[in-house]
Amino acid sequence: MKDILNIVFRLTASCLMAAVVMGATFIFTDKAKKHNEHAREERTMYRLLGYGEGKPVPSTLALHQIYRYVITEPGRQLIGYLVPTTNAGKIGYTLVSLDLEGKMADRKTVALDVEQSREKEARDKAILAVIGPGKEIRFADHTIVVTDNGKRVAYLLGGKFPGFKTFINVMLALDQQYTTLGLEVLENEEDPGLGAEIEKDYFKNQFKGRTVDVLKGLQVVKEPLPDQYRQALEGRLADADVFRIMEQFKDKNIYALTGATISSRMLTDGLKGMVGKFVYRLDILDRVLKEQKIAVSF
Amino acid sequence: MTTSSNTKPPWELLSRGILSENPIFRLALSMCPAVGISTTVMNGLMLGVAVLLVQVFSSVTISLFKNQIHPRIRIPTYTLTIATWVTVIDLVMAAYLPGAYAKMGIFIKLIVAFAIITMRLEMFACKENATDSFWDGVGMGLGFMVGMVVIGFVRELLGSGAILGYDVLGFKPLLFFILPSAGFFVVGLMMAFFNWVELVYKRRKGIQL
Repeated sequence: MKDILNIVFRLTASCLMAAVVMGATFIFTDKAKKHNEHAREERTMYRLLGYGEGKPVPSTLALHQIYRYVITEPGRQLIGYLVPTTNAGKIGYTLVSLDLEGKMADRKTVALDVEQSREKEARDKAILAVIGPGKEIRFADHTIVVTDNGKRVAYLLGGKFPGFKTFINVMLALDQQYTTLGLEVLENEEDPGLGAEIEKDYFKNQFKGRTVDVLKGLQVVKEPLPDQYRQALEGRLADADVFRIMEQFKDKNIYALTGATISSRMLTDGLKGMVGKFVYRLDILDRVLKEQKIAVSF
Repeated sequence: MTTSSNTKPPWELLSRGILSENPIFRLALSMCPAVGISTTVMNGLMLGVAVLLVQVFSSVTISLFKNQIHPRIRIPTYTLTIATWVTVIDLVMAAYLPGAYAKMGIFIKLIVAFAIITMRLEMFACKENATDSFWDGVGMGLGFMVGMVVIGFVRELLGSGAILGYDVLGFKPLLFFILPSAGFFVVGLMMAFFNWVELVYKRRKGIQL
């Protein structure tokens, strides 16, 4: 008995020490980690939009975040869009709830500022406070509308879909006509050297310049990637040559990765689904915003 | 925990981990994650650095607290120690070294289950002083890193025709080498090489085989 108590005491003490060390490290590093994640996300967004070294981000460019939620209440389900709105030049947030037929169901002002809106916990709490008791919310995804001088110029979509191994997390940039500007694979756990090559320029840049109609019909083909096309995808040619070659291939199918056809297909299908749903949802949201005269910031 | 006092010079502890007790080629430990990841030199190097850090911190911690660890719960305590250091290194790197973390983050989280680290805590750190444990951890970590880089070199060259991401051959000679099963194949060849080197060394020194 004495031995058991001794073991329990020592194991408990070890766990407490580990908890103190990990907890203290978390407290000291959390702010810097969140800042890094946000900075990394912003860098990725601007890179997808074509900005970076040599092409600074113009001061007139603005990013407007739209958060989509599924709201469940007894007897029905709603889709809630948390959109940034302007009121006397000040940014606020409004939750626009639509029923499953795309008709306006409810509209509430949410007490959030831009900083708070980035934090999922603060966002969820603020939404739950305005929709009232007895309802549940589930975060679905978020979209960024990019404006330049107040005019829409692009959209940034975050998405997660199944890959060959686990999930693939991506960010996709579309222009105002829904043509792909760029793709970034943020996270994946595909096989190193095979499916994990989806994040390489020679694969992911194949989606650049695809219109929404071309993207919807894209197939993956098991053919060798033409050498010149690969050089253009990797940016190893002069800009004029890259443009010319990319134009030649903009309606062609996607060349599968060697030894990773399933990963190539899963990514392609995932993007097709993501863009198709986004275009459909945005059309509905835009119609409702216009009908209800909601003064969104984008 | 009992303690012993067979202090060895640092260079001997270091060389033991790299050569005579190399975790991969001599002890054949942590093989599954090793062959799963070592498809390129850079992957091998990153995983090696991550293992080195966790091994050193865990070895020193166990060595310092060895007299407080009950013998019957030593393995759970080792696992807890490794998990704590993995978490601490993961959080610190994510916060202050975001560039390195973007490349190494995935590898660091893998390390909790590495047999090599638990084995060194059981075989060495729980018996020796903190200084020796530090050098043993560094040696084992470096040995693992060397092993991973060598495997990564062979697999990247033969599987992708590249070295450190640069296309050197212009074609992929044997795609098979990218697959996890080929990792074991390369490890087997390297083990044979190490055994041959040991054999030659012992013959030349006149040591009885």
